[in-house]
Amino acid sequence: MKKKLLSALLSVAMISSLLVGCGSSADTTTDTTETTEAEATEEAPAEEETAEEATDETAAAGDEITYAGELEIMHYSTSEESEGNGGSDGFRTVLAEWDEAHPDITLTQNVLANAEYKTQIATLAAADDLPDVFLLQGMNTIAWAEQGLVYDLTDDIKSSPYYADYNTSYFAPFTVDGKMYGYPVLTGGTCTVVIYDKAMWKEAGFDAFPTTWEDVEKASEYFNEQGITTVAFGNGGKWQANSCFLSTLGNRYTGPDWFMSLIAKSGAAFTDDEFVAALAETQKLFHDTKIFNEDFNAVTNEDAREYYISGDAAAFIGGNWDESYIWATLKDSNEEKFNNIGFAVLPQPADATYAPNSQNIGLGYAVAINPKVADDPEKLAAAIDLAEYVTGPAFANYVATNYALGGLTKVADVDLSGFDQITQDFYNWSYVDTETCEIYDSYISSAVWDVLNTDLQTLMNGDITPEEVAANAQAAYEANY
Amino acid sequence: MLNSIKPKGRTVFLYLLVPVVFFVFTVFVPLVTAFVYSFFEWKGGPKKTFIGIDNYVQLFHDATFWQSFGHNIYLVIACLIGQIGIAFIMVMIVNSKVVKLKGIHRTFGFFPSTISAVCLGLIWNMIYHNQYGIINWFLRLIGRDDLCKVWLNEPKLVMLLVSIPLIWQYIGYYMVIILSAISSIDTEIFESAEIDGANGVQRALYITLPLIKNTMLVCITLCVAGNMKAFDNIFVMTKGGPGTASMVMAMYGYQISFNQSNMGYGSCISVGIFVLAMLVIGGSQALVKLLTREKEA
Repeated sequence: MKKKLLSALLSVAMISSLLVGCGSSADTTTDTTETTEAEATEEAPAEEETAEEATDETAAAGDEITYAGELEIMHYSTSEESEGNGGSDGFRTVLAEWDEAHPDITLTQNVLANAEYKTQIATLAAADDLPDVFLLQGMNTIAWAEQGLVYDLTDDIKSSPYYADYNTSYFAPFTVDGKMYGYPVLTGGTCTVVIYDKAMWKEAGFDAFPTTWEDVEKASEYFNEQGITTVAFGNGGKWQANSCFLSTLGNRYTGPDWFMSLIAKSGAAFTDDEFVAALAETQKLFHDTKIFNEDFNAVTNEDAREYYISGDAAAFIGGNWDESYIWATLKDSNEEKFNNIGFAVLPQPADATYAPNSQNIGLGYAVAINPKVADDPEKLAAAIDLAEYVTGPAFANYVATNYALGGLTKVADVDLSGFDQITQDFYNWSYVDTETCEIYDSYISSAVWDVLNTDLQTLMNGDITPEEVAANAQAAYEANY
Repeated sequence: MLNSIKPKGRTVFLYLLVPVVFFVFTVFVPLVTAFVYSFFEWKGGPKKTFIGIDNYVQLFHDATFWQSFGHNIYLVIACLIGQIGIAFIMVMIVNSKVVKLKGIHRTFGFFPSTISAVCLGLIWNMIYHNQYGIINWFLRLIGRDDLCKVWLNEPKLVMLLVSIPLIWQYIGYYMVIILSAISSIDTEIFESAEIDGANGVQRALYITLPLIKNTMLVCITLCVAGNMKAFDNIFVMTKGGPGTASMVMAMYGYQISFNQSNMGYGSCISVGIFVLAMLVIGGSQALVKLLTREKEA
């Protein structure tokens, strides 16, 4: 009898310890998020002035919030990422401000690094268990809107107090059939910028980065003799060739209407001659010429930009995130090289006919809301207020004054005089002196881009024809979009 | 006497219940749900459409999946020869009388298998690196610049290059297993063989190997199973690239499920991996049994 009692007790103890085990993991998550919040709030006081101004502006909107309770948000602006990255830093700062201004609302943040964020949010979407507020990636908009995973924000966006200041073209990736599903968030940055060392190119006989690939090829003869890579590029992650090269080069061949037609499914196809020509040019540049580092398919953009920083490469092609890294690294370590940083658009191929001065820029993510939040109108109002605040003037002013970057909301008269020359140059290059075009993978479907990206690697090695790549992408497009 | 300390069936059942429930929940439930989902078109989200065996038909015609399966088989063969074969030879060397400091050999042999696969991938990435890697550095040093390559960007070589770290990592692991098996063999057998004039190779092949047959069978099963689900170090080193030249089944399933948000077809691939892994493991065991039986006859 005693034994029976004992065994029963033991089993109960085991089960309860298991349950406690399961429960405690959830507790840990909350704990960590609370610490992150605390950290973020600590960072905030330094920028109190901007914060106060902004809070005043939004006071009207803030007053209407009657909701008290929990609100969860998931994003990828980690504290590590925010160091040096204006968008992340600004996002964390304004989020902490909003949290502080709403003491009745317990804001639970779940912060993951970008790569993990993408996997996690895809899993949560599949399980129909998305958090109240999250960041929606442009290319998922159509699929998720169809599945009813994102709340239709059209009316709220149009009645936003900041609507007049919004850069409305940024809404395009998050709009399906005229309905808008998110507030574009973080900073608008280019995905394709040529960063070059003015002094090195001057030695090669070029006062500025060439505007045609023929000239780049000529320069490469000079650089190769010196044992220097002409242009560094890293496609080890497979997405870089698409986001940071083909998206802009493709626009030079097809023009913007082709891509719009592809998005709208109104006739354009990957197998169209113009796009195949862009693929052929990509293959030619990477496989037939000696312009790029030969290990472009084996190294990532993080490795390739080190070739530029160390002087092993005379130029580098990457996105705004690479620019901010190169800027920060060279500023501390090599002042001369820092002052020689120049920015250029992708050179124009000889047989391309469109927009020679274009670069792809946009906001890849938007703050979206889980439709389940709408069950509680007060909570929904709080979530919308949060979304408007983190994408509104408070954020835009913060990133403009601290980093010379722009977001969804336009800021009038950004005073650039306080910034160093390179930051000013990059601001003008990004927002003033160049034409813009779309970022391919902000649209359509991840299933299509994943197929294309995998093939692009093989294409750049010369092991598959442009026609085959186009046909595979078209098949994926027809099957998934 | 024994019966008096043996607990009642019900008690045993109760004790086992919790771990068994836990096991069922973490192993069988996901397996069964994956099987169920594999009959649906499920592009991530609450909507699922029943499409019968369409996913399996697609899987059957999916060239990339079968290419990945081929790569897994390549890994299995390379690792059977590399891991277990080299481990066996190493054990023979460590066990021979000429080798001193056996403990140190054992410890350092085992060391690589304690490092996480992700770190190993990064370390070997540096070894293969085009500009800073030790291989190309050595080739330049001996004046053979012409042999320098972007190693991980060679479609024909890449599978071999990603299997080398895997082999290197697990030699020590199998060494420890084989060593413990050998230490249980009676030393008198070796002594009498020595007196009869058997040399080291003969002792290894005709005495040691037959006596540790069962352990070797376990090693082979572990090796096959481990390589059918290979993922992490290849993911770090090449992400399956260039193109799909180093894609393995688990990575393809991951890519379809998470990069392409195609959970239904991803589940179908998982079921495919499960079935194929079972077949390969079963097949290899049957083959080993058949071979050893012939020898006995």
